[in-house]
Amino acid sequence: MAATKQNLLRPLLSGYSPLKGTYDEYFKDQNSPRAGLKGLTRLLDDLGEHEFRLRQQLADEAFMLGGITFSVYSDDRGVEKIMPFDLIPRAVSGKEWQKCERGLIQRIQALNMFLKDIYHEQKILKDEVVPEFLIKQSSGYLKEACGIMPPGGVYVHVAGIDLIRGPDGNFVVLEDNLRTPSGVSYVLENRAIMKRVFPRIFARAKIKNVEDYPHWLRNALTELSPVDASETRAVVLTPGPYNSAYFEHSFLARRMGCELVQGSDLFVRDNKVYVKTTYGPQRVHVIYRRIDDAYLDPEVFNKDSLLGVPGIYRAYREGNVTLANALGNGVADDKAVYPYVPDMIRYYLSEEPIISQVETYLCHREKDRKYVLENLKDLVVKEVDASGGYGMLIGPRSTKAEIQKFARQIEKNPRGYIAQPLVELSTCPTWTDNGTAPRRVDLRPYIISGQHTRVLPGGLTRVALAQDSYVVNSSQGGGTKDTWILEDS
Amino acid sequence: MISRVAETCFWLFRQLERAESTARLLQVNRAFILDINLPEIERWYPLVIVAGERKRFGKLFAEAARQDEELIQAYLTWHDDNPVSIKSALFWARENARTIREVISLDTWEAINSLWHWLSSGPGKRMYKTDRDKFYRHLITSINAIHGIALNTQSHEAPFYFMQLGMLLERAGQTARTLDFKYHSIGPTKLGMESPIEIAQWLALLRSCSAQDAYLKKAKTGISGPAIFEFLVKDDHFPRSVLYCLDSASRIMVKLRTTDRTEPADPTKSMIMLNKMVTEIRGTTTQESLEKSIHKELTSIVDSTMDICSQLHKDYFDPEIPETFSELTGTKAGSRHQRW
Repeated sequence: MAATKQNLLRPLLSGYSPLKGTYDEYFKDQNSPRAGLKGLTRLLDDLGEHEFRLRQQLADEAFMLGGITFSVYSDDRGVEKIMPFDLIPRAVSGKEWQKCERGLIQRIQALNMFLKDIYHEQKILKDEVVPEFLIKQSSGYLKEACGIMPPGGVYVHVAGIDLIRGPDGNFVVLEDNLRTPSGVSYVLENRAIMKRVFPRIFARAKIKNVEDYPHWLRNALTELSPVDASETRAVVLTPGPYNSAYFEHSFLARRMGCELVQGSDLFVRDNKVYVKTTYGPQRVHVIYRRIDDAYLDPEVFNKDSLLGVPGIYRAYREGNVTLANALGNGVADDKAVYPYVPDMIRYYLSEEPIISQVETYLCHREKDRKYVLENLKDLVVKEVDASGGYGMLIGPRSTKAEIQKFARQIEKNPRGYIAQPLVELSTCPTWTDNGTAPRRVDLRPYIISGQHTRVLPGGLTRVALAQDSYVVNSSQGGGTKDTWILEDS
Repeated sequence: MISRVAETCFWLFRQLERAESTARLLQVNRAFILDINLPEIERWYPLVIVAGERKRFGKLFAEAARQDEELIQAYLTWHDDNPVSIKSALFWARENARTIREVISLDTWEAINSLWHWLSSGPGKRMYKTDRDKFYRHLITSINAIHGIALNTQSHEAPFYFMQLGMLLERAGQTARTLDFKYHSIGPTKLGMESPIEIAQWLALLRSCSAQDAYLKKAKTGISGPAIFEFLVKDDHFPRSVLYCLDSASRIMVKLRTTDRTEPADPTKSMIMLNKMVTEIRGTTTQESLEKSIHKELTSIVDSTMDICSQLHKDYFDPEIPETFSELTGTKAGSRHQRW
């Protein structure tokens, strides 16, 4: 599109109009920015579109040079894409964030206690707070994890909890990710690039730092090592360079100062894990693994897995190696277990949930199923163990045929589906070919637990780049933004 | 360090070295064929032979292709089917670098990554079309810059040593292969009896190894086959001579013996083989080599270098795990590799 002279000088946000019936992250209504964001809005406005375009180009080049890219392997060699990055930051006030932080810590504590309970006494099932069959039928429930106590009783070392804002502006939990949540490297790289392209804005806005993440993670892992911290060798275990998150695995290993290994680098002897080095086998004590449970140990789980390490389960069971995250966490982020999390918080902590969550219909309940089947065109249906925006039906945006297909699937396997009303995700000003426009966003904060639980200020803001889209996943046309937690002045 | 990572370091620099030497051969040949009048078949096809690609090339293309200069240059520069084309070598170098990004320095990574993007997207392709000499020069300079960046931004310890080993062994083999081929095609000229074509060919050979200036400074007897053989195989100071490469590699193996250890490890088989090879090359006079056959001598160098590479694999990259072993054998507990 040819930019006219007028366009070149056009302020970035003054022509922006938020969507009706949707919470906008920047504006109460047209031309009135939210309290606390006035300064930032002015800084962005002053930049102008032309300058903004130049900086976006600079940022894209920096991602490319740094190799912060996705490879498109279906297209053989060399086709690489950067994860679309939108330079307009998403900003959250310090006060709002404090509430999120408390709520996330509370939620993780309850989920961690739930996992400890499920794999030991199962009190919550005996007390019938959570139905037993739901747990026993969960694909994430591993009988092999029963009776094993991970060091410090920590199951969820790293969690990514997806938050969204509805029209009332309150953050609610959409989804828990307690297995191998990804994306944190983008939080750190996005921030580094923002600092490079917007040094002046950065100097003026007071933004909470995210740099400490690798350090926190390293400490959390070392604290939970089976041996003394000074003797501990911790490694990051990756499925390999063809995994789409390989950049992140490598990034975390580099920033934590530990080694990145693949399954074939490790072996187990006498229930201890070793790494093959140029100077002979060496013990490994802590593994931050980015491989799913099912592929971790071909002796016990998926027999055909080439990614895993035969015998690693025995080493874990004997307490000779710490796995982060622990084995069997999938039972707690099963989408059909999600509706019970508020009850878990009440049950284990005797507290009311600080952050609420989205109303959910469980298709295995007859009454719910009936309602769901009658109202599919207004609901969002999700497979309980799918992720990445797959296995999903967005009723209001689907054809009749798609809706009928899901109806049949639900009737066939009710335990496999849940449904939720479509939440009008909040929007954030986002750069498009036609200037800035409202696009829907979510937020994935990262929570680290060692002996204590900490929340990284901010997290990954994902943005649905297409107009009217609700799907923020990178695999489906989503991009990211830097998330600024503003220090309240 | 982790065995797989050591191997990746080794191959990373080996692939870079391959790309550079192919770029140099192509660049030199372009100038060379302008100077002399050779039959079509002898103009470009010899480069396919030096690259060891005779068989695959014959399968992929008709016989007339041997005289097709554009096709041959494209084959050696761009073809994905050719595993030693510049593009293939750089693709794998960059893949290796990406796989061990946490091991190499950020500067090394960015230099390799940006060269790959230059080659595989618009700018490289455009320069190839408009100014081919500049294209190859850019490749050669960029790869040398990567060597310099690694040298100056990475710790000189195990990963760096394995990178250097990959480069040196590849270079030794490459020099021997190039020399063998040219020697064979030109024949052992005698001093004072070279034809102008022969002199041009010898000079081109020297340029393919970036050795023209270095040789001319040293050569007291002019340009002759045996003198060039002596220089490219046995010179102690020229960084592309076979002996210089092998001797440097041997010194690196000595350093590896003590890396991360309180006491030196037992010498590895690959180190013993390498030392033996260095001693043999030093101990043989050029006169003896001439009598024995230059071709045999060079083939034996190429083969031994390959044997050393396979032995390195057994010694370091994929060692058998012994039935019994004690943890931390001879290594410093809490040393650099016990970073926690």
